[in-house]
Amino acid sequence: MNKFRRAVTWVALALIVFLLFLSIYGAFIGAERAKSLVSRLPVVAYWSAFLLLLILGLVVFRRLVRVPGLLLIHAGCVFILAGAMWSSEKGHQIQKKLFGTDKITTGQMRIHEGHSDNRVILEDNKQIKELPFSIELKDFQIEYYKPAYLHIQTRDGQGWRIPVEIDTEFPLGPEFGTIKILRAFENFKITIEGESRKIIDDPQPGSNPAVEVQITSPEGQVTNRYVFERFGGHARPEDKFALSYRRVISDYISQLRVIKDNKVAAEKDIEVNHPLSFGGYHFYQHSYDSEAGQYTVLMVVSNTGLGVVYAGYWMLCTGVIWHLWLRHIVPRIKLKNK
Amino acid sequence: MEIKYTIQGLLIYATIAAYLSAFVTSLLRRAKTGHILYLFGFAIAVFSFGYRWYHVRHVPLQNLFEVFLCLGMIYPVSLFCRRFLRVGGYSADMLIGAIVLFPAGFVFNAEPQQLPPALQSWLFTPHVAVYMLSYIVMAKATFQAILQLAGKAPNPGENLLGPEQATYRIICIGFPLLTLGLILGSYWGKKAWGDYWGWDPKELWSLASWLVYVGYFHFRYMFGKKHPNINSSWAIAGMTAIIITLLWVNLSRLFPGLHSYAT
Repeated sequence: MNKFRRAVTWVALALIVFLLFLSIYGAFIGAERAKSLVSRLPVVAYWSAFLLLLILGLVVFRRLVRVPGLLLIHAGCVFILAGAMWSSEKGHQIQKKLFGTDKITTGQMRIHEGHSDNRVILEDNKQIKELPFSIELKDFQIEYYKPAYLHIQTRDGQGWRIPVEIDTEFPLGPEFGTIKILRAFENFKITIEGESRKIIDDPQPGSNPAVEVQITSPEGQVTNRYVFERFGGHARPEDKFALSYRRVISDYISQLRVIKDNKVAAEKDIEVNHPLSFGGYHFYQHSYDSEAGQYTVLMVVSNTGLGVVYAGYWMLCTGVIWHLWLRHIVPRIKLKNK
Repeated sequence: MEIKYTIQGLLIYATIAAYLSAFVTSLLRRAKTGHILYLFGFAIAVFSFGYRWYHVRHVPLQNLFEVFLCLGMIYPVSLFCRRFLRVGGYSADMLIGAIVLFPAGFVFNAEPQQLPPALQSWLFTPHVAVYMLSYIVMAKATFQAILQLAGKAPNPGENLLGPEQATYRIICIGFPLLTLGLILGSYWGKKAWGDYWGWDPKELWSLASWLVYVGYFHFRYMFGKKHPNINSSWAIAGMTAIIITLLWVNLSRLFPGLHSYAT
């Protein structure tokens, strides 16, 4: 290896080690700060140096071009870095200056059921930009795993997790008696009719999940209690155990419709892992109205540069697998077949 | 630390016992009996993993308990390394199997959990499975690296590679898996959270582990076998980063992030 090539390899090793320590440092400072750190000027200079060095490596080391696996690995890294830089906030700003394309990099939309909107609140929470089309939320649903569970915790740390099955009695042992679930509510409400209070499961929009339980003490004393999902602390000083009601969310679904030029251009029910792609953007299920389930919050992300990054991923994976595995296996198989 | 008085717990303890018996038997130079016990331990480990799968009704790779249960099925990796790569450390694998099952048996909570929406993806199983396979392969490489640093070499009659060469060969097997795990995770992150790289502590430690092995390859390319102990130190540093990625990031409050459900 001549001096220049050796120097290039040393610089490559130094850049790898620098990125290694940068990653470890980033892990300690948390995702938000790490994200802002890597887009600062010195680190951007580092990314550029890394990218240039990869290209220089491909020029200087003939082996990196002649050996297909090595070419794919190194060119794949070039694609990933270039794609990531192109899709970044700064990359979008450069594209605006060069080509006049004014795309939203990332932001959020809050849409109420039955309404449509095209305004996106940008990541800095200060600016609002408009999309060239609108998104309508037909319906928003939250699905839960069944059954839900009632958790019972005694003062000495003993615990039970019982499924919410109406009218089924669960024994808690001779010290605690039994517990029975009488009723489950989606939207617990108390109404006052004349002088009497009435407990209802309100069909109107809103969410206040609860269960009514009947506790029978070992002495035969019967008490009825309500346990709410959203309000903790259901234990009085005289209680032998605390109760909590928990449901596990299995899915969030936003039924969306894309409206462009007063026409429905696309429709999709989006869930976590199943975003909507339209007009150069991806729309993700991000958050929701936890009080009443009346609106959804979508994350809007530009797809600029994504294809380049994915191409880099394919090249890197194929290159590594070819160079370290298949390059050795395929000739052996061929030899065996001969 | 707690003892699990459940069928799952008993299966784990039986596997640990079988692996440890296999290890001791191998040390006493009863290789055949050791192999049978190792195979028996593996059979229980597979049954234990299957039992958990049936019990939770999804591929059991969601939390640290399930992941360590999976890591206990080490036998095929050691068989592959011996048969196809001429790499030893067969007895050590029995001990590694028992060690990785220890936290599943005595430390981690085994209460079944339902999959949160983010984990309901076809990428869940391949992403975690390739990572687990790469970790166990890299653990084997680390053992060979330690042998190199300790100055141990296989007996001439065994037809096995020297520890430095063995470390390199195993890392060549594990590195594509590590790469695949990283890229599948990134692709999944894009599908689930809208970003293929979120600078999350777990992501950054995974990248750090990957970069250590990238550094290893570059260093070995530059110097070949001239500095076998430095080559081996790279491999050990890689495993250290993997252990931090797998355990410290999930267990420590220092690293809150998107992967906290794995705790």
